[in-house]
This record gives sequence, structure tokens and C-alpha cells, in this order.
Amino acid sequence: MRFVVFVKQVPDTTLIEVDENGNLRRAGVPSILDPCSEHAMETALGLRSEGDVVTAVTMGPPQAESALRRCLEIGADEAFLLSDRAFAGADVRATARALSAFVERFAGDATLLLFGRQASDGDTGQVPAEVAEMLGREQFCYSTKVERAGDAFRCTQDYGDEIRVCSVPSGSVVSVSEGDVNRRLPSIERFMAVRNMTVTVLGRIDLGLGNFSVGMNGSRTRIVESRNVRSVRSGTVIDGSDPVGAAAHLREVL
Amino acid sequence: MGCESCTDGSCQSEEKGGLPPGMLQRYRLGVDRSDGFLVWIETERDAEGNIRVCDHVKELLGKIRQMDGGRSRVWGVIFGHLELKPLYPELYAHGVDTLYEVHDRVLSTFHPEAYADNLAQIIVRTEPAVVLFGATPRGRELAPRVAARLDAGLTADCTELALSDRDLLMTRPAFGGNVMATIRCTSFPQMATVRPGVFPVPEPFREGKGTVIYWQSTCRILKDIISSEIKRDSGEDITKARILISLGAGVKRESISVAESLARKLGGTVSCSRKLVEKGWFNQSRQVGQSGKTVAPDLYLAFGISGAVQHLAGIGLAGRVIAINRDANAGISEVADEIVVGDANAILRELERSL
Repeated sequence: MRFVVFVKQVPDTTLIEVDENGNLRRAGVPSILDPCSEHAMETALGLRSEGDVVTAVTMGPPQAESALRRCLEIGADEAFLLSDRAFAGADVRATARALSAFVERFAGDATLLLFGRQASDGDTGQVPAEVAEMLGREQFCYSTKVERAGDAFRCTQDYGDEIRVCSVPSGSVVSVSEGDVNRRLPSIERFMAVRNMTVTVLGRIDLGLGNFSVGMNGSRTRIVESRNVRSVRSGTVIDGSDPVGAAAHLREVL
Repeated sequence: MGCESCTDGSCQSEEKGGLPPGMLQRYRLGVDRSDGFLVWIETERDAEGNIRVCDHVKELLGKIRQMDGGRSRVWGVIFGHLELKPLYPELYAHGVDTLYEVHDRVLSTFHPEAYADNLAQIIVRTEPAVVLFGATPRGRELAPRVAARLDAGLTADCTELALSDRDLLMTRPAFGGNVMATIRCTSFPQMATVRPGVFPVPEPFREGKGTVIYWQSTCRILKDIISSEIKRDSGEDITKARILISLGAGVKRESISVAESLARKLGGTVSCSRKLVEKGWFNQSRQVGQSGKTVAPDLYLAFGISGAVQHLAGIGLAGRVIAINRDANAGISEVADEIVVGDANAILRELERSL
């Protein structure tokens, strides 16, 4: 069996600071493997048994290799980086196009295609369903648990008001929203072994994609404007060292 | 087999890509003729098990009417069977002109592949300029599937919509709510999912009259559902609360019952930050923020919440924000109208007692 995990590299949003003008200080913020992607990796590794292969894939600039290295450290067997200047500025549709082209060319036999539910840098979790449709596969979003059921799989989906369990046919797209918090840490031997592993870089030509199906040209949305909206409110500071007085003050506000 | 509504077998709708009966030519999308709005009508079951239209659908219909003054056509697409009949007048009264009902008992439950297949066919048939979904878990699963089928642009999680001629300008928060990006689709139909609760729920504005068209589903891809359990959340919906008492990592576990009692006295609801969901003290349905819910209360009382950007993204629509915190310079101070510097637990207890 082969599990393909699609991951994303994101800036560490917990470290992003805002300067006095409300602009984001993005410079110098380290990039990390997105936490939801990590959950997807963990799910794939949990499903793996003897002889199975876990493949990590990401699309991004050359620096995104570090996210794939992290995946290899956690336990992936191979890693692919889809990187090309032509991929820049891709929206949901163009991203999904490149990822599905990868699956068609390099991972058509994949047993499961796993995604994180959504990336923490403001991405929206729409890519998995678009990939599923482009490949004509079934989709299982908001999965909290994926388990083996004989040769097939079974996943638990949480829709907020309903929890349902579905059987998952081979080749389906699964987006994972929760992972095991108490996961094991990669061993030192693994760290050393990963240094000798290669990350395969694939460009637009390798995926057999035309110039007009990827990146900016392949996108169906354009950003018209973006503005900072950090609203500065009056922000009166009130001393609340005396709970009784503070409570009395709040009661007046109510 | 053929189409079940035709007996002589002349109808080819079983065949993929075949035309519906009576249709001479398949309309092309992306041409100037495209006009009007199409909305997926999501339904839910209330506490008694009766089916009802979700509030965000009415919000969308109200917003459409406000944007174009009721000039363009509005289509609704609803999935289910006979149980939907009582909903028609309400939908017409809120602005649906033509309602497509995908009439299939099986589709009373959510099957994303079959829903997307039927929606795409109806969109090709009706040629709307704009297709809107609520950004609920199901809407967010369904919309990209439809968009990929139609090769259309999709903007997720919009908080504001505006019309410029035939173009829809969609505004959504990015980077944890620090940036609002306005996005335009470059092709038709223009698709968006819109966060529930950002527009007011309108009153019905006309007598309930309209047309319903029954649509036969031809999609055979159905999920194999082993079990399904409806969650009955004990608490109220935090997105609809007028007063929210929100707890963060700075409060102790004992304070939760105090906050709940305070909420009862004030007629409010208790919500929380992500940290408390991670600790397992609260269900995720109570979480405010980017990975939780966007709330719009008149008054937001933040007890012991430091205010990470992801949390602040969820309270941008709140009327008045009062933070009760040890640290006057915590992240929440950037959006708070008032910061009470002190022990959140003690003030919470004192406030509860004094009311």
C-alpha cells in the first residue's frame, strides 16, 4: 500500500508580531511544517504496516524542502517537492491542478491521499476537495480518525453537529483534522539517516502541465486589494487589583 | 434503465454528458448571458428533529437582496424528499424565485459527491453569475468540489460581499485576521463560501410564492455510511449570543461553573479560547478564533485570554470588547475597548456574586 501525504510549509503564526502600524512583521519568522500537515503525516504513519510506503509531497519554493526533511525525520519513506517559478501565485484551483497532476503521473496507485484539514496561515482547506474532484475520487473531509478495516479503511468524520463513520474505498482523498498529540519523537539514528536521503524536485514540465494551467495563469481568482485591518480601539486601562471594585465597574458597564 | 421519469426510454439522461429532456443545446458558462444568484439551501434538524432552513441561508438571501435591490433572479438548490415541502413558503418569502429540489430520499443525508454532481448540473442549466454557500463544514466540503467540476474560481470564508457591475467582490480575512483581502473571480460562475453570522438574518419581505422544479439525481456515487450520530450540544450557539463570557488559559477550572452561572444571570453564553479546548475543558463548538468560530456579540468579556492573532480573528465583529487580564499589554489589549488589569478568577467570582 502507498500513502501519499500532502503537506504545507507555513510561517510560524504563533511567532508573528504586529508592529505599531498594524503591519505584519513577517521577516525573520521561521517556517515550519504546518501542524495540520503533521497530523496527516501521523495518520499515515499510524496506518503503515510492513512493506507500505509513505510519500510526502509539497508544492512551494525551494526552501520548502526543509518541511519535507521534517516529514522524512518523522518517518516518511520518500519526499517530492513540486517547485517551479511558474507555480508562483497559485490559488486553490491552480494548486489542486498541480497536485492532481502529480498523483496522475507519480502516484496513481496510492491507497490513500491524505491532507491536513487547513493550513494555519490563512489557507482554507479547499484544496483536498478540488483534488478529489479533479481525480474523480471520493472525499472524506474533517476526519478525526482513520483506521484499517481489513483491506479497506474506515474513517470517522466530525461535521460539528454530526459524527459519522464511513468506509473509505481505496484511492480516496482524506483530510485529517486531528492528530495524536502524544506522538513519538524521531530518533537520533533517523535524524542521521535522513541527511543522506534525497528530496526529488519536480517542475512544471515533469508534471506534464501547460503554462496556462498552473500558477497565476491557472488561477481563477485575483486579489484586488488587501489592507491591514488591525483596528485600534480606545483601550482604556483600568486597575483591577481590587476584585470587588473591578466587579462593580463591570456591573456598571453591563 | 434510462431516466426514471420517462417511460419510452427516449431520454438519455443516464448517459454522462447527455442533455436533460427538452433541452436542445447545453449552455456554456463564462459568457455574458450569465446572470443571477444561486444558493445552496442547507437544512438542519432542530432539537425536536424537525427539518429547518439554516439561518445562514436567510442571511445570504438577505445580502443578495441588499446588494442588487432584488433585480436579479435567485435560484435555490435543496436536497431531500417530501419533508422539504413545508420549507417552500419561507424560502420564497426570503427571496428565492426558483427552487430546484433534488428529489431523492437518499440525498436527505449529506453525500458530497452526489450533491456536487447535481449542483454542477443545475448550475450549467441555470447559468448563475454567482454561486454562494455557507462556510459551514458541509458547505466548505461541497463548494470546492463543485468549483473544480466547473473550473470556476472560489473564495472561501468571505465576511463581506459587494457587487461591482456583474463582478462580485469578495472580502475575506487572511493571516489570522490581520489583513482583509478583497478577491475577484476571473471566470463565471463566481463562487464563494460565506461565514455564517456575518450578515443579519432578515425578516421575510414578501408573500411566499415561487416555482419549484424537481430534479432527478443521476449520480450513483454514494458514501457507504456505517454509522451516524447526531450531536446534541448542550449549550447554545456561541455565534448567535448577544453576550459572550469567554475564558482563556488564565482562568482556573473552578471558574468554569462560575462563568456558567454568570452567563445564566446575564442571558449570555460561555465561550473559550483554543487553549481550553486543548485541555479538554470545553467542546470545540465553544471555541472562538480562526480554527473555531467567528462571533459577533454586542459584548465580549474576555477573562484571562492573552489574545493570539488567531483568537482575535474570531472577535473582529464583536461590538464591545472588555478584557480582564493580568497583563495590560497582552495581545487582546489591541482590540479591547477596556482592559481591566487584575486577577480574572477573582473578578469573575466577584461579578457573579454581586449580580
